[in-house]
Amino acid sequence: MSSQVDFGLGLRPDHYEEIVANPGRVTWFEVLSENYMVPGGRPLQWLDTLRRDYPMAMHGVSLSIGSIDPLDRGYLDALKALTERIEPLWVSDHLCFTGLRGINMHDLLPLPYTEEALDHVAERVMRVQDHLGRRLVLENVSSYVTYAASELAEWDFIAGLAERADCEILLDVNNVYVSAFNHEFDAYAFLRAMPTKRVRQFHLAGHLHKGTHIIDTHDHPIIPDVWDLYAEAVRLFPDVPTMIERDANIPPYVDLLAELDTARDIALRVARGRAPKAAE
Amino acid sequence: MSVGGPATNAGSLGDLQRAFQDYLLSGSDRLTASVHDTRKADRTTLLEVYRDGYALRLIEVLANDYPGVMAMAGPADFDYMARSYIAARPSRHPSVRWFGKDLADFLASTPPFDRSPAVAEMARFEWTLGDAFDSPDATPVGADALTALPSVAWETLSFTTLPSLHLLAFDFDVPRAWQRRDEQEPGNLAADRAEAPTSWVIWRPQLTSNFRSLAADEATMLAALMQECPFPELCECLAPSVGESGAVARAASLLRSWVEEGMIGSFRH
Repeated sequence: MSSQVDFGLGLRPDHYEEIVANPGRVTWFEVLSENYMVPGGRPLQWLDTLRRDYPMAMHGVSLSIGSIDPLDRGYLDALKALTERIEPLWVSDHLCFTGLRGINMHDLLPLPYTEEALDHVAERVMRVQDHLGRRLVLENVSSYVTYAASELAEWDFIAGLAERADCEILLDVNNVYVSAFNHEFDAYAFLRAMPTKRVRQFHLAGHLHKGTHIIDTHDHPIIPDVWDLYAEAVRLFPDVPTMIERDANIPPYVDLLAELDTARDIALRVARGRAPKAAE
Repeated sequence: MSVGGPATNAGSLGDLQRAFQDYLLSGSDRLTASVHDTRKADRTTLLEVYRDGYALRLIEVLANDYPGVMAMAGPADFDYMARSYIAARPSRHPSVRWFGKDLADFLASTPPFDRSPAVAEMARFEWTLGDAFDSPDATPVGADALTALPSVAWETLSFTTLPSLHLLAFDFDVPRAWQRRDEQEPGNLAADRAEAPTSWVIWRPQLTSNFRSLAADEATMLAALMQECPFPELCECLAPSVGESGAVARAASLLRSWVEEGMIGSFRH
């Protein structure tokens, strides 16, 4: 890849000291926005220290962009204040709702893929973008149920939203795999339906296979089938930055660096496969 | 397959969201008719992924925030306590950082947990430690700034403490029990009842939080200082314990120790 921001990891407190001890092994970090919406102390001190050496993207879990509750102005202000501190590469959250009636369920709950929902979310994305003064990047979530009310395929909903709201897409390859297994759709068709110029970032992660369904747990290494899907994503969307999420059963930092090397190898292999065609 | 019959496409975005939240909060089954089975799993099983995840995620948050409470209660009682709290006080903040904020009040006021006041005190202690951990940064006042003041300034001199500083009173010796939280099997940690209610101060002078117990007169003066009472009044509040003649020397001594320990955030006169 030519971009300086290519392979990154999620910044986790377990790894702060190991990151300092292993400088330069990643080119960027993704930080969980809410973890740094605190008044002071060690979290912000680590954030500022590491930000001096690494570009960072902000990734939130509580924007609740699809909720029928009003947008939380206090949250948006805190998010904007954090963008001013971090000067992030981009700001992302999830295409979902996380609660309503003022209650946060702290989960990424699926939306029905309807024209009504598309209108609702698009209008809110545009208001958030106006507030932040930048494009929003939205991630496809893993889901375990689908609604009878849905009128659109998930990929058509996402692609339509990106165009209508002029936002970007965080393509979580593991989530595509999980939802494709759970709802029996073609994961590769999902990737092909994404608008090429809108894909801003890839996520990779592990999951928990329960036999009849898969749960997106971020507590295991990435499985071979997801690596294969990632290779297709890299082929379709060249030079898009990649990062690995690990949120539970967190291994040593160097183990995640090794997993990230696998992503590098796949991207390199895909790029080499592309090169002769480009020379023709 | 599900007993809920075939899925129906009735329901607007708002209806579906309310049904989903009601399912998670109260087990309402209105959502069931609006989602699909798959060929591999029925919708009840699939919805339980969300319901289980909701509870387990917040239980984990509480376990991380309250290791001392876990050590006192043990995993089974902690799980019951956490689920009761989750049901009673659903999160209203964008960050799980603040979800456990009301646990001490909940335990102190809700049967059967109110029968274990030491556990509620442990919760209050641990939440306050966490509060100090990421409270606003501030630079403590140095001793030089105070010694440079003219004597007339002391007649009106008042102080503020660091934003991280909290003054607490406990009937049980929970801070010392907290220090032993990893030494015993979960469920076996006990906090002894103190001979008399004891005051404790928690504060974070740099990046590391501190706590220590306070003598009764020290707690009285610190409480008055936090009310921004001027120095002569701080001396007066010590008179009942050390007498008029010893009050100024005791107040000066306590103030010096607080400055040296990095508790004082600012002063004015």
